[in-house]
Amino acid sequence: MAGKYIALPKGVSEQIFDTAIKEFRGILGEAFVLTSPQQLAPYIKTMMPVPDSEHAPSAALIATTVEQIQKIVGICNQYKVPIWTISTGKNLGYGGAAPAERGQVVLDLKRMNRILEVDKDLAYALVEPGVTYQQLYDYIAERKLGLWLSFPAPSAIAGPVGNTLDRGVGYTPYGEHFMYACGMEVVLANGDVLRTGMGSMPNSNTWQVFKWGYGPYLDGIFTQSNYGIVTKFGFWLMPAPPVFKPFVIQYQNEEDIVEIVETIRPLRINGIIPNAVVIAHALYEAPTKARRGDYVTGPGAIPDEAIRKITKDHNLGIWNVYAALYGTQEQVDVNWKIVTQAFGKSDKAKILTEKEAGSDPAFEYRAKLMRGDLTLKEFSLYNWRGGGGSMWFAPVSQARGTETLKQMSVTKQILGKYGLDYSGEFIVGMRDMHHVVDVLYDKTNPEQVKAAYQCFDELLTTFSALGYGTYRVNTAFMDKVADTYGPIQRKVNKILKDALDPNGILAPGKSGIR
Amino acid sequence: MRKIILRGTASGFLLAGTVTVGLVANTAWAQSQNDSSVGFEWKDGTEVYAKVCGHCHETKVGPVIRGRHLPAAYVRTIVRDGLRAMPSFRSSEIDDTSLEKVAEYISKN
Repeated sequence: MAGKYIALPKGVSEQIFDTAIKEFRGILGEAFVLTSPQQLAPYIKTMMPVPDSEHAPSAALIATTVEQIQKIVGICNQYKVPIWTISTGKNLGYGGAAPAERGQVVLDLKRMNRILEVDKDLAYALVEPGVTYQQLYDYIAERKLGLWLSFPAPSAIAGPVGNTLDRGVGYTPYGEHFMYACGMEVVLANGDVLRTGMGSMPNSNTWQVFKWGYGPYLDGIFTQSNYGIVTKFGFWLMPAPPVFKPFVIQYQNEEDIVEIVETIRPLRINGIIPNAVVIAHALYEAPTKARRGDYVTGPGAIPDEAIRKITKDHNLGIWNVYAALYGTQEQVDVNWKIVTQAFGKSDKAKILTEKEAGSDPAFEYRAKLMRGDLTLKEFSLYNWRGGGGSMWFAPVSQARGTETLKQMSVTKQILGKYGLDYSGEFIVGMRDMHHVVDVLYDKTNPEQVKAAYQCFDELLTTFSALGYGTYRVNTAFMDKVADTYGPIQRKVNKILKDALDPNGILAPGKSGIR
Repeated sequence: MRKIILRGTASGFLLAGTVTVGLVANTAWAQSQNDSSVGFEWKDGTEVYAKVCGHCHETKVGPVIRGRHLPAAYVRTIVRDGLRAMPSFRSSEIDDTSLEKVAEYISKN
């Protein structure tokens, strides 16, 4: 810490930054402009294999109103100070609350946390960025609104705005979150406040019920981007169904994923299984009930024999297919018959319902996620290697058996080369699959940190060469992933950036856009 | 024109003020707001424990931390800095006063 700040924004002198900080304090008050190392410590910790100092902020601003944010962007434009906006800041494994680049000022909207509306009849919500899933879950439960949430694994401590804007996914029939987004309010870099879709029309009451409005659909450009600051966000909620029937289907060989995907695809496309089916590898589920140290010691990836022993000891498949049926009893009965007939054609599939597997820790947390009940059990993954290192490698695949087997094999081979385990799952969309792999390593072990970085870099290089793009990535690798989508996309993103944010004050570097 | 009264989430972070939101006048969502004009506030240490800490520390994801008489100062430091796999929690998530309360709750329960 050379001066009075732990870092400075790129190209901004301490003197200029002093002035900007003074003006931020004039807007927010002394207590909401954080600059001391102690105050900023929670913004610095990441799970990425790079020094945390590379992502240290210069300050954090805690804002609660649109008007404050409008004034903040005015100051940022004046002094060319870049801000990195976060909502709940729990994008763990993708960069957390830390900015993309050292010295950026974090604009922390966690305290902007009002639930503005939940409409029971039309089943939608309008919330501010700091609202957590826990807060919304409690709000709905207290009022007995009979609506379900869909959320990612960090559930309680994360929130719908940040997750959806990063195009995260969940596990209910509403699991493709951005598909269920409906209407945003966005503060632009020039201070204008845009309401997307029907929200721009005075006196309209259709902002949260009709997504498209008139003219170009703009909501998409405010996801995974840095073109504005979303301050209100509408999205649809799922009416609680009368019957919910979760199940798991276990298979015992990695090659079986070909058959699994071929069986699931028509069930998903035809809407028999309405939720985002998860095909979880044994090592994704094992941490909920086994310890790695009981099966393997020393360096290197866990051998296949040890994985097989884990599956036997803990009633897991090599692949564990989690899905659920939703609806009236009659609907569920009919669809259950279709599902069991489809999987029953194979002698490899072992179908288990709540009756047989309800007390199993893995089944229990998966069932909770599929019905929108809060659980952080998936964080058991972090105990697998220990040491707090994690990066999500998330290539997209076709929902085709041969493709998933190929992706799994290549991923496992590269991870193994660096001594890391394959902790992966496929989340089945309508026609795609999010192949989600937690690259787990011990961040307290310098050799593993180095290996994890090189491994992730090789995964991205190899997958892009094969034509597989990643749908989301942590802040240390955003430029690399942006390059994999080619120069024209980067150029168009840049044209939009220059038009909407000519001084480049909003989250420079997000998705490789500056 | 609707007025929204804003209150801070806790002491150390207290902010009181009245903000006029001209843009939302007469829109349906503004009219339909009921008791939601105040942001979320933690009630006490028990609530913070149940709705943040407990999700991991009562489910065998994180270590048991109750009943060990952990010093409150230690708890506060770990919450703010994080530790290995445990994420850090910012003052915007758990304000200083609520952190005092939850640290005391963990120490004494």
